[in-house]
Amino acid sequence: MIVRALRAAALASLIALAVACGRGTPPSAAIVLNTSTPTASVEVTGLSSDIAAALEKPRTPEAWASILRVAVSSEAPPVLGTYRVVGRTLRFTPAFPFDPGRQYQVRFDASIVHGPVLAATVGLPASVDAPSTTVAAVYPSGDVLPENLLRMYVIFSAPMSAASGIGHLELLGADGTPVEGAFLPLDYEFWSPDHTRFTVFFDPGRVKRGILPNRQSGRALVRGGRYTLVVKTTWRDANGRPLKEEFLKTFMAGAAEMQPLDTADWRIQAPGGGSRAPLSVRFPKPLDRALLTRALDVRRAGEPVAGEAHVDDGETRWRFTPREPWAPGRYELLALSILEDRAGNQIGRAFEVDNFETVDKDPDPKTVTVGFTIAK
Amino acid sequence: MRNAFITIVVVVALVAGAAWTTSSARAVAESGQGPKLTSVGPLAFSADGTLFAADNLAATIYSLDLGTQAAGATPGAKGLDGIDKTLADMLGTAPGEIAITDLAVHPRSHNAFVSVMRGQGASASPALFRVDGAGKIDLVTLQSLKFSKVELPNAPAAPNTVSRRNSRSETVTDMALVDGKLWVAGLSNEEFASKLRAIPYPFSAVDNGTSVEIFHGNHAAVETRSPVYAFVPYTVGGQQNLIAGYLCTPLVKFAIAGLKAGEKVRGTTIAELGAGNRPIDMLVYNKGGQDFLLMSNTSRGVMKIPTRDFATATPITTPVTRETGGIPYETIASMRGIEQMDLLDAQNSIVLARTQAGLNLQVVPLP
Repeated sequence: MIVRALRAAALASLIALAVACGRGTPPSAAIVLNTSTPTASVEVTGLSSDIAAALEKPRTPEAWASILRVAVSSEAPPVLGTYRVVGRTLRFTPAFPFDPGRQYQVRFDASIVHGPVLAATVGLPASVDAPSTTVAAVYPSGDVLPENLLRMYVIFSAPMSAASGIGHLELLGADGTPVEGAFLPLDYEFWSPDHTRFTVFFDPGRVKRGILPNRQSGRALVRGGRYTLVVKTTWRDANGRPLKEEFLKTFMAGAAEMQPLDTADWRIQAPGGGSRAPLSVRFPKPLDRALLTRALDVRRAGEPVAGEAHVDDGETRWRFTPREPWAPGRYELLALSILEDRAGNQIGRAFEVDNFETVDKDPDPKTVTVGFTIAK
Repeated sequence: MRNAFITIVVVVALVAGAAWTTSSARAVAESGQGPKLTSVGPLAFSADGTLFAADNLAATIYSLDLGTQAAGATPGAKGLDGIDKTLADMLGTAPGEIAITDLAVHPRSHNAFVSVMRGQGASASPALFRVDGAGKIDLVTLQSLKFSKVELPNAPAAPNTVSRRNSRSETVTDMALVDGKLWVAGLSNEEFASKLRAIPYPFSAVDNGTSVEIFHGNHAAVETRSPVYAFVPYTVGGQQNLIAGYLCTPLVKFAIAGLKAGEKVRGTTIAELGAGNRPIDMLVYNKGGQDFLLMSNTSRGVMKIPTRDFATATPITTPVTRETGGIPYETIASMRGIEQMDLLDAQNSIVLARTQAGLNLQVVPLP
C-alpha cells in the first residue's frame, strides 16, 4: 500500500546514479527502479539483444547475484529476490518490498557475457507525512487504581506497528523515578487484531501475594502512591511514524481489590415496555474494560436480544439499547464467567482465593444469569 | 546449601469448550500447498521433521512439510555472528526492522530454522530461513510447501459485544507434539487465564482440541489462574509429563494422562526462580547417563536442572525464604543473553545470544 502511494513520487525522485565503466556499454543501458511493477523492482534496461539473450538462462541465486547485485550496502550480502529477463531488460524483484527511504546499492556486471558493468544507488522516497497517531485513551480510566492492578489497555487513534510496546512505556513514581520491573516483559505483543489496542500486563509474580517475586520485590504499585504512566512518542505507528505527542496518565494507587464479583451487588435499572430506552447495569466497582465489552448479554426466553451495548462511567456502568422496543416480560442478563474487575477477580471467584479446596467445586462456571423484568 | 521447599499445587481443570455461543468459535482445518502465513513463530518440529509454525496474527497453527528444503547441503548448523544483521541484509532492511521469533532444529538434518518477521507495520511479512552446517543461509520457499492448518478457537463473545467487534486475541507462546497431540500454550490479551490446548494431529475440522485451565497455588493455599508460558514434554516416573514454566516463575510438572475432562489434576512445582524472571526456552538432554533440563530465562541466565528428582520430589510445604527454591539448579555462567535455544544434537545446543555487537547464532556444547 505504501509502495503504491509512493509510486508516482518514486519515479520522479529516482536517484539512479549509473556509472558506465565497462567495455561495450550500449549508450542506453541503465539501472532504474521500476515502480510500475506490483513490487518495485530494479531493472537494467537498454541491453543489447545479444546480451539479453545470453543472460536468459537458468542460474542459481548466487550466480544471478554475481551479475546483478542489489544490497543495502557494499559489504552486505545481496538482497533476496528473483531475476528475469524481459525483452532487453533484466529485472530483479525483491522477495520483500524495498523500504521507503532506504538506499540500495546496485551493481550490474555482465562481463561473463561480454556485457557492460554498471553501478547505481536506488531507493524509494521516504515518507514525509507528519506524525498524526495519538493515544486516544488508557484504561482503567479512573484516577485511583487498585495496587494489585493486573493490566492496562492503551488505545491508539490509528493502527500501530508490531514493535515492542514495553520499551515505549514507563511507569514513574511520585518523584519521577521509574518503577523498575513493573511490567511483564514478553517476547510477544498483545495487540487487538486491528493493532489499535495494546495490553500491558503488570508482572503477575509481583501482584500475587506469597509468590517469591512478590516477597522479594513487592507490588509495583503501593497504596497511597502517586504514579504516572508515560507513553513515549518513540512508539511507531503502522506507517513507521512516531506518535504525535507524549501521553501521560497520572493516578493514585488505592486499596487492593481482593473480592470476587457478586452479581447481587449489581443494580439493574430496567426501562418500561414499549420503549427503546437503555437497560442500565451498575457495578459497585469498575470492571475490566475489555472484558466488559464482550462478556455481557441480554436474553429473553434463552434467545439473544439484538441491540447495542455501551460502557461508561469509568467502567462502572453497562448500558444496552435494544434494536426493537422492549416487550414486557421476563429477561435475563447473562455474564460470562471470564468477566473480571481490574485486579482479575471474577464472578464468585477471586483472583486469589484463600481456600484452595472449595474453589474447585465448580471448576468452570460458564455463565451467570441475573433475571430482570420489563414492566408494561 | 539446601533451599527450603515450598508447596505449590497446581490444579488443572478441563474446560470443555465455550458455553456461550459458537459464533466466535472456529473449528477450521484445511490442507494444501503454499501456506499463506501472515506471521510466523513460535516453531516446533515433530520427530519426523514436520514443522509446526504458529501464525499468531491469524490465530492459526500450520504444519509444514519442508520436503527437499528440510536439509541444506551440509548437515548440522554452524554458528554465525551477527545473524540479525545478515538476515536483515538479505531481507533488504535494517536489523531494527526485523524480529527473530524462534529457532528450531530439524531432527534429521540438524539444520537450524529461524523464523523472522520483516517489518513492523501493516506490511510486516513472515520469513523462514534455514542455516546448514556450513553456515549457508537459505530462505525457505513457502509457496512450494505442503501444509495443513488449524485455526485456534477464539474465546466466546456476547452477540452484542460493544461495537460488534471482538478485540480479543490469543498468542501462542510454545508448542510440542506428544503422542499424536499438539500441545499449545497461549496467552490472551484480555482475560488472565491459561489456555493449554491439546489439538489432535493430523488436524481435524471436527476437533480443535481440549482447553485446559491452569491454576497456581502457593504455600498459603492461595490459588490463582496462571498462564503457562513455555514447556517441554518429559517422561517422569514412566508417565508422560509436561514440564512447564509459568509467567510468575515457578517451574511445574503435570502428567498428561491426568488431563481428562472433568477430572482435577494436581501438579507439583519443582522450582521457584525468583523475581523479575520468566522462562524462555526449555530442552532436555542426556549427559553421562543422566538427564538434565536446560532452561533459558529472561533475567536469571541459563539453568541446568538434574531431572533425577522430578519423580520423587516431596510435596513442598514451607515457604521459600531464600532467593529461589525447590529443586536446586546450576546457572551456566558461560551462556549469557540467550534469547532462543534448541537442542542441536546429542552434544550441543544452538542458541541466539544477544551481544553488544548484535545477535549471534552460537553452537554451545551442552553443559
